[in-house]
Amino acid sequence: MVRALRLILKEVFYTLALIIGVTALLFLFFNLMPGDFAGKGEGFPAYLTLLKKLFSFRFGRSVVSGVDIGSIVFPAFRNTLILTIGAIFISLIIAVPIGIFAAFRSFRSYSWPAMVFSYIISSIPVFYLGYLVLFFVSRQTGFLPIYYPDSSAGPYRFLSYVLPIIVLGVGNDAISEIVRLISSELGRVMSTDYVIASKARGESVLASSVNEGIAIPLVSIVCARIPFLIGGAVIIEYVFNWPGMGRLAFQSTLDRDLPVLIVITFLSVLMVRAGMILKEILLYVFNPGKR
Amino acid sequence: MKRFYFEEESLQVAPLHVPLYKRASAQDVASIGFGLFVISYLVVFFIISGTNIFVKDPMEINVSKMFQPPSFEHILGTDYLGRDIFSRIVMGTQAFFIPGLLSITISTAFGLLFGVISGFYPRISSKIIFFVLNIIDTIPRFIFILIIIVLFSPSIYLIMAFVGITSIPKITAYIKAKVEVLMQQRFIEAGRALGLSQMTIIFKHIVWLSSKSVLIIHATLGMGEAILIETALSYLGFGVQEPVPSWGNMVAMGTDYFFQGKVWLATIPAITILFTIMGLYLLGDGLNSMYNEKVSR
Repeated sequence: MVRALRLILKEVFYTLALIIGVTALLFLFFNLMPGDFAGKGEGFPAYLTLLKKLFSFRFGRSVVSGVDIGSIVFPAFRNTLILTIGAIFISLIIAVPIGIFAAFRSFRSYSWPAMVFSYIISSIPVFYLGYLVLFFVSRQTGFLPIYYPDSSAGPYRFLSYVLPIIVLGVGNDAISEIVRLISSELGRVMSTDYVIASKARGESVLASSVNEGIAIPLVSIVCARIPFLIGGAVIIEYVFNWPGMGRLAFQSTLDRDLPVLIVITFLSVLMVRAGMILKEILLYVFNPGKR
Repeated sequence: MKRFYFEEESLQVAPLHVPLYKRASAQDVASIGFGLFVISYLVVFFIISGTNIFVKDPMEINVSKMFQPPSFEHILGTDYLGRDIFSRIVMGTQAFFIPGLLSITISTAFGLLFGVISGFYPRISSKIIFFVLNIIDTIPRFIFILIIIVLFSPSIYLIMAFVGITSIPKITAYIKAKVEVLMQQRFIEAGRALGLSQMTIIFKHIVWLSSKSVLIIHATLGMGEAILIETALSYLGFGVQEPVPSWGNMVAMGTDYFFQGKVWLATIPAITILFTIMGLYLLGDGLNSMYNEKVSR
């Protein structure tokens, strides 16, 4: 228990150091940037005020619209969190069975359509996939709504969460990566002696070797995908008009609204590091060697 | 006779070096072949677009021929200004070809450099290098590029250079792991004992003979990622601007007419993107499994 606590503390300190590094990098970029704006050229005190603003979560006002940044960023952050976590689950639900199937059938028999499907699905451009889904599911059949604003639709507004989550889960290239990882890892585990022995004893190989083989690499690969999912969320939120952090980043890029963009970077770095800490904890739980 | 069975078995030592073409399975051959096909059409398109011989003018506007479906005159149809879609696709390779090469050159060169340094001197330099690389790695790549666009100019060369910089950490991690494994091996020790210089050991035995495959695989996958990012940025309107064709802004233009039933306008460039990226990923994965190494994208 003490070791686990020490592990988490170490990760938290590393996260703090990284955030200071990230903000220092951004601050360096401002001073290289052509043009003039508040806080440029004032050196170290300006950097300290930036840090103070970020860590106290009072972000100040937007340059363009004059709105308090916290009041627009936090709802957007919540929406992106929902989108990202849902997308991870969708990717896992699609990719894990295909990977297990491919490992058991080792490509030469019936598993190749599944592998080809995983490649096609993970290299289709996500913006085109979004329009395709909008065209066929929302427009032709009217099966699922495109978007309900938060207040108007009542309980049905959760239906509008379905399409963006599915498209982001399917369209990022995590699926082929997870499939390849699972099929190679499982293929390695299945040829080990103890799995052959348990096969000979007539035990269920799938349950035991799945647990042994793929839990640890799967955890690390899923947590490493989080930055890419946030990147994919920018495009998906633009296509589906989803009021999240990515669309806010897009809008503030058009407006050249630097303070909002800095806050978005800060929050997404926090999100990525939270994923890393979660990964450490899960690895501690799954891996008896670390205890 | 029977009791010598195990001894006979152990006498058959596996050959030390299996040539590459014998290591490849049917799956590897299929995926590498598809990848080489994709690379060859990319190169052919790029060369043709420079000479302007075989294609129609991609900028030529012909209002009497708007929204034509695929026909003999226009192989892939025409867009909303009557411009030939096929020649625009050919011209669109110019948007990412040289910038993508720039991106993978930056990422592999600096990844190799940092990887070798941090693998050789793992105590201090590796910690500093990995702290700096972790800073780059924690910022989501797309957000990082948006910041670059706000702060500097939205030039595609600058953006692709930053794409290259953001993929340095992954390559460095692989090269470092590789170097650390190799340093334990006997042949490096033997080379030292024979009096080879440090430079020969690093550049010949570690970089050229052992890390080549990792670099080729990552360069292929990096080209795929560069194309994805270029098309996505052009789709959002930050990359290549409209009169100049790019596959991304062709999809963006086509989606305006998608709901009117003129589906091919967006579908043709989207399918081109799909085939290209799938080919590059398959090439990387096929080479990867042929070299039989665990390299993950």
